[in-house]
Amino acid sequence: MASRDGIALLRRAARKAGRRQRAAAIFSQIALLLPLPLGYAVLVLTAVKALRLDAASQRFWWLLGVVPLLVLLVGVGRALFTRRPSWQGSIALDQFHGFHDRVTSALSFSQVPPAERTPLMEAAIEDGAALAGKLDPRRAVPIPLPRELVVAAGLLLGLGALSLFEVRHYRPLPPPPSFEPMVMSADDIELFRDVAKELQAKNDDPNALVAVHRFNQLVEDIAEHRLDRHEVFQRMGELERDLKDNLELDRDARDEGLKGLARELEKSGLSKPAADALDEKRLADAEKALRELAEKLRKKDGRPSAAELEKLRQALEKASRSNEERAKSIDQRRRELEEEKKSLLKKKGEKGDAGATPDLDKKLAENERKLERLDREKNRAERSQKQMSELDKQLAQAARDLMRDAGQSAQDLEQGARDINRMAKQEATEEQKQELLKKLQEMRELMRQQGKGGKDQMQRLQKFGQRARGQSGGGQGKPGEGQGEGQQGGKKDGPLRMGSGPGSVSIDVPVPQSVSGQGQGQPGDKPGGSDPGAGANYGTGHDPNVAGNATDLKGKTTDVTAAGADTGQGAASSQVIYGAAERGFVGRGYKQVFTDYQTVAERALSQDEIPSGYRFYVRRYFQLIRPRD
Amino acid sequence: MTEAEQAREEVAAFQKRIGALREEIGRVIVGNREVIDGVLSCMLGSSHALLEGVPGLGKTMLVRTLAGVLGLEFSRIQFTPDLMPADIIGTVVLDEGAGGARSLEFRRGPIFANIVLADEVNRATPKTQSALLEAMQEHRVTVGRTTHVIEEPYFVLATQNPLEMEGTYPLPEAQLDRFFYKLEVPFPTRDELHAIIDRTTTSQHTEVKRVLTRDEILQMQALVRRVPVARHVQDYAIRVLQATHPGGEEAPELVKRFVRTGASPRGAQAMLLGAKVRALFDGRFAASIDDVKATALAALRHRVLLSFEGEAEGVASDRVINEILKKLPGSKE
Repeated sequence: MASRDGIALLRRAARKAGRRQRAAAIFSQIALLLPLPLGYAVLVLTAVKALRLDAASQRFWWLLGVVPLLVLLVGVGRALFTRRPSWQGSIALDQFHGFHDRVTSALSFSQVPPAERTPLMEAAIEDGAALAGKLDPRRAVPIPLPRELVVAAGLLLGLGALSLFEVRHYRPLPPPPSFEPMVMSADDIELFRDVAKELQAKNDDPNALVAVHRFNQLVEDIAEHRLDRHEVFQRMGELERDLKDNLELDRDARDEGLKGLARELEKSGLSKPAADALDEKRLADAEKALRELAEKLRKKDGRPSAAELEKLRQALEKASRSNEERAKSIDQRRRELEEEKKSLLKKKGEKGDAGATPDLDKKLAENERKLERLDREKNRAERSQKQMSELDKQLAQAARDLMRDAGQSAQDLEQGARDINRMAKQEATEEQKQELLKKLQEMRELMRQQGKGGKDQMQRLQKFGQRARGQSGGGQGKPGEGQGEGQQGGKKDGPLRMGSGPGSVSIDVPVPQSVSGQGQGQPGDKPGGSDPGAGANYGTGHDPNVAGNATDLKGKTTDVTAAGADTGQGAASSQVIYGAAERGFVGRGYKQVFTDYQTVAERALSQDEIPSGYRFYVRRYFQLIRPRD
Repeated sequence: MTEAEQAREEVAAFQKRIGALREEIGRVIVGNREVIDGVLSCMLGSSHALLEGVPGLGKTMLVRTLAGVLGLEFSRIQFTPDLMPADIIGTVVLDEGAGGARSLEFRRGPIFANIVLADEVNRATPKTQSALLEAMQEHRVTVGRTTHVIEEPYFVLATQNPLEMEGTYPLPEAQLDRFFYKLEVPFPTRDELHAIIDRTTTSQHTEVKRVLTRDEILQMQALVRRVPVARHVQDYAIRVLQATHPGGEEAPELVKRFVRTGASPRGAQAMLLGAKVRALFDGRFAASIDDVKATALAALRHRVLLSFEGEAEGVASDRVINEILKKLPGSKE
């Protein structure tokens, strides 16, 4: 019994020793193989820091580190799972305690069936069991620190130090983004300021005035160099888009309002002419038709019958309410759709994600689309209501007054006619907006072209602007040299050179790049004069006859009076142009000639005689040679 | 008394007898404890020993003393080149009786003793050597048509001189294999020499007394055979044996280079039997790996045959075996 307990103790001690041996083997394997992945990591980290590997290369090399890591894992796995002899632990115990295999032998013989055991085996078992208390597996199988661990620890420290070490690389930083303002020549700034002033003067519509103000602000910002090229184009784009949107919305709203009126007014024979005119957007005819109706109501003879008047009253009343009714109807429809949307959303919420069927989603999307469309219609209806409010009021008043006092009603209708007239004027406002749009497009094209020309073209423009105002500037030719090259012979950036008659002054007219020296110049037709600048210094000496000769009173004189005939014709156009070349584009005469020429040019432009690709250049040419104040 | 207790007592008695034996031999033989133990191991293992040493180291004295303390019949044969098999086995002679009757009678040779000392065995011709070795293996001798059984215990101790090789007939490998151990008798140390001279240059004459009876020896031989060997010890002995072969799985580089042929299975038997005896010497009930290691040199040195290269390099078989023991761990990893 005692020997059985002893054998159990022996077995336990042997197992423990075996486990410690396995642990020591694993530890040894780790210490032996750990330097592999650590060394690899040190190498890769060094390469990453020193060679500045890109992200893809880094990923590749780090992934390749799986190989040494696998080697380590395989080594550890082998130490962990390799099958060892069962007596290995007990042999270690025997060897450590110097028991001459008494423990191992006892364990070995204890596995022999008792019947087969010899007396010496039994004695050996008892002998071994007696040693159970003396065994110390911990001391018998120590787990020492492997020597190779020093290498691994060194590499680990190196890795840590390396990760903290920062290799400085000097990388040139990109220069900070510089602000390059959009530059426009002073001459063009003035041109667009004038355009803004002109549009402001022509307009009294608040919307149009806001647009003009924005345009003016844009020009001023460019003049003050507050915007770069990108911002300028962005602002122009926004302005253009707003203008177009406003134009379309106003036009649609007015058309719808007028159609609504026309629909109701045509129900009465009296107001039908006005209705037809409104339907066809002939506002002047509509005004006239309403005035005629007012006149008819005022007349005592041939007044319309009571039935006709009643019909007219009803037509006027309905017409006055048509816009309001339309807005209300849209509101009603919108409310219904909102209700439907709420109901659909509620249904979807109740069913949860699982219940969200494609059919339900489709209905919701359809509902959203309808609501958006109605919002647009409502916007139009409100605009229409606003535009037509005065006319509606007058028509309503006319309807009320019609049965009581026809005269008063006639006055109301006349007032309505005036409102139509006002609406017609609004169309004129639209033309101003269109013009502003056109100017914006020109400005954009101009800036686009200037962007290609670079600084040289800007300098030429500045010089040209000064000369155009009659200020002296560089590049003045010497009098008498003559001038007049006809063509610029294919020189791409060559300025047009205006021939100037006597050949004393030349003005370079900068043109956009795409025109390759096609300006038609007039060749100088006279030889150059003497150089007036040659005698710039004070003379020396003096005239001996300072007082001049004495008066000879002996001569006979006859007094003749001559008076010039004023034909009112003034100088010829060519003379004015020659003069402009000398003095700049100033003066009344030049303005007159320019206007004549520009009128011809505009006519040619409007009649599509100029190819569309060249229209900008024609307009630009006339902008450049426009009269300056 | 249980069997285990009985076995325990047997082992204790064995140890006591061995102690007495050693003590008595020690009265005559100075030092040479390992050689004495080796000789006793061979005898208790029911086998024979080959002693190798230069002349004058007390080989013959050892055997003679052993025979004296054991009280067994002892004979000494000096092997010479002209020694014939009949000289050692015996021969049939014509015997004339008292009545004048003549008969053929077998006269036993010196081989029919319990302890036989075959001195300088390598000086006899192979024919004579073979006659001795047959008796050693079979424990019987056949002459004519009659087989004569040699009485147990039977123990042959052969000696050979490693220096004088001229005119000798070195024992062939097959015959060397018959010897359980080959024991090398070392030169005595200074203290041992003093003791030897003191004992042999005076008129003092030491008589040994008989310590064991023949039956006791046979009991001890039987006990040796009953000593159990655990599997791991036997496994170790086999691995050592395999490692002596150049093609062995665990053979060290030295074996692969310098060994022609490794030990036969008799080597493993010798190691394990020797280990058992050693265990009993220590009063243990089972042999251990340490016992195997301790017997490996004596059991294998005459069984490991060196290659020509090994001979040329002067590599001793002891070095090869020590290398194997050093490289081979106690338990297989």
